[in-house]
Amino acid sequence: MIARTVLSAEEIRRAVRRIAHEIVERNHGLADVVLVGMRTRGVPLANRLAEAIGEIEDASVPVGALDIGLYRDDIASRAPHVQPTDLPMAMEGRTVILVDDVLYTGRSIRAALNALTDFGRPAAIQLAVLVDRGHRQLPIRADYVGKNIPTALHEDVDVLLEETDGHDEVRIAREEGEQ
Amino acid sequence: MPARPAQLVLEDGTVFRGESFGADVTSAGEVVFSTAMTGYQEMLTDPSFAGQVLVLTYPLAGNYGINAEDVESKRIQVAGLVVHEACDAPSHWRSERTLGEYLASESIPGIAGVDTRALTRKLRSAGVMMGAVTSDETPEQALARLRSAPRYGEVDLVRGVSTDEPYEWDPAASDVRLKPDPQRNVVVVDDGVKYNIMRLLAERGCRVTALPPDASAETILALSPDGILFSPGPGDPKFLDYQVATVRSLIGKAPILGICLGHQVLGRAFGADTFKLKFGHRGANHPVQDVETGRVHITAQNHGYAVDPDGLSSDIEVSQVHLNDGTCEGLRHRSEPVMSIQYHSEASPGPLDNVYVFDRFVEMMDAVNSG
Repeated sequence: MIARTVLSAEEIRRAVRRIAHEIVERNHGLADVVLVGMRTRGVPLANRLAEAIGEIEDASVPVGALDIGLYRDDIASRAPHVQPTDLPMAMEGRTVILVDDVLYTGRSIRAALNALTDFGRPAAIQLAVLVDRGHRQLPIRADYVGKNIPTALHEDVDVLLEETDGHDEVRIAREEGEQ
Repeated sequence: MPARPAQLVLEDGTVFRGESFGADVTSAGEVVFSTAMTGYQEMLTDPSFAGQVLVLTYPLAGNYGINAEDVESKRIQVAGLVVHEACDAPSHWRSERTLGEYLASESIPGIAGVDTRALTRKLRSAGVMMGAVTSDETPEQALARLRSAPRYGEVDLVRGVSTDEPYEWDPAASDVRLKPDPQRNVVVVDDGVKYNIMRLLAERGCRVTALPPDASAETILALSPDGILFSPGPGDPKFLDYQVATVRSLIGKAPILGICLGHQVLGRAFGADTFKLKFGHRGANHPVQDVETGRVHITAQNHGYAVDPDGLSSDIEVSQVHLNDGTCEGLRHRSEPVMSIQYHSEASPGPLDNVYVFDRFVEMMDAVNSG
């Protein structure tokens, strides 16, 4: 296994701060904005965004957690593992910013959109991701991207976060012998 | 006499129309569905359904009537019953009255003629929600009542279904094949226990004493129990944090079995959090896998909350998982005789595949006693 770091802790911190600024700018403030992190690593990222936005705007943005276990399209071939979904309020009329660590095929975002709209009809849904690694299989794009990282299909993008993994780092890993 | 029109009103404003077949009153609760094909009498009297309006997905209910024996507690516990079709001409040698008569006799409303498939699909996609069954109010009145009433998760339902006083289970009151001389003392902490748990323990040579939910560890140990069982019950386990301390001080004192709500209390005692499932597990065909052996058991279930094993201490491990969603269905202590299951091993209704859990509980007691 060969791994190389593509984002350091400091770079992750800067990316989160920049996205926070973009969210405030794009939405002309924060009225009705709610951050919804996708489990597992989207949740700590959503919390960090909320914290960064709080420092910029002196306002608090509600944060929720969304589990997409039962909405995945590969549910028939792999056993789902459901974790708590915890939305702080009704989604009706809100601007929901969906937060995930890596955007890849777009399939989990598709699942999240379905899961979210089952809870109500948001005014708008936007997508924020720390890493966009390409290789989309669905017509989905992110509104806020921490870093675009071109990858090969055989590579893995690992996002490690303090809250879940002990330290902050994004790295690309591939099996030895693969080019 | 033509049946009176009735409505099921959901908190999101949806109205399902049908006809009344129980008491002509208005009653509200959390609307949940069970996929069990039979066993409506056991489900109606299961204390874990307190505060809930029960929807049966099987399209016909009441066809084998109501008898005197198949109750799981002393009264109907559901707030209301929703069915597609209610049979008013039951046929069974034990039947004494119809389902509608039974509901009416305990002032519980029932509504028939509802498209329970559409209703269940709604609950599966939007999650369980509050609802009211009414035949004496307009949908607007019922909706206003719903919006002002406390929500399911805000009520400590255990107090309403458990016992205030200790009592000894009388096996003669039930047709159990009794061992002549009970050799073991079991204390059941009654959070809303089902009779079949008592019957199955009595059949296995246990003298069963039930205590109120707030019984202290000292009170429990004063009865010199060979085993302690934390029972199923209704509502959010967060209301039972006083039992968490009791469980902690009982570890190592006697074998402990937690079932359903008792399992959630045990999970919390070992550091885990509990969370509300979107639409719960209710029915008689839920597949659960034993992590150690890989064997799958078909289980009866009735729970709306689950243990999130993330916070569990290293003393205890997840022993069983639900195959539909991967949630925790059982815990086992690594060194002490402590185990718990999220499903209903006592069935009633449901498959009897899992009564072995009671045999294991008895084995745990005997191992401690002989060791």
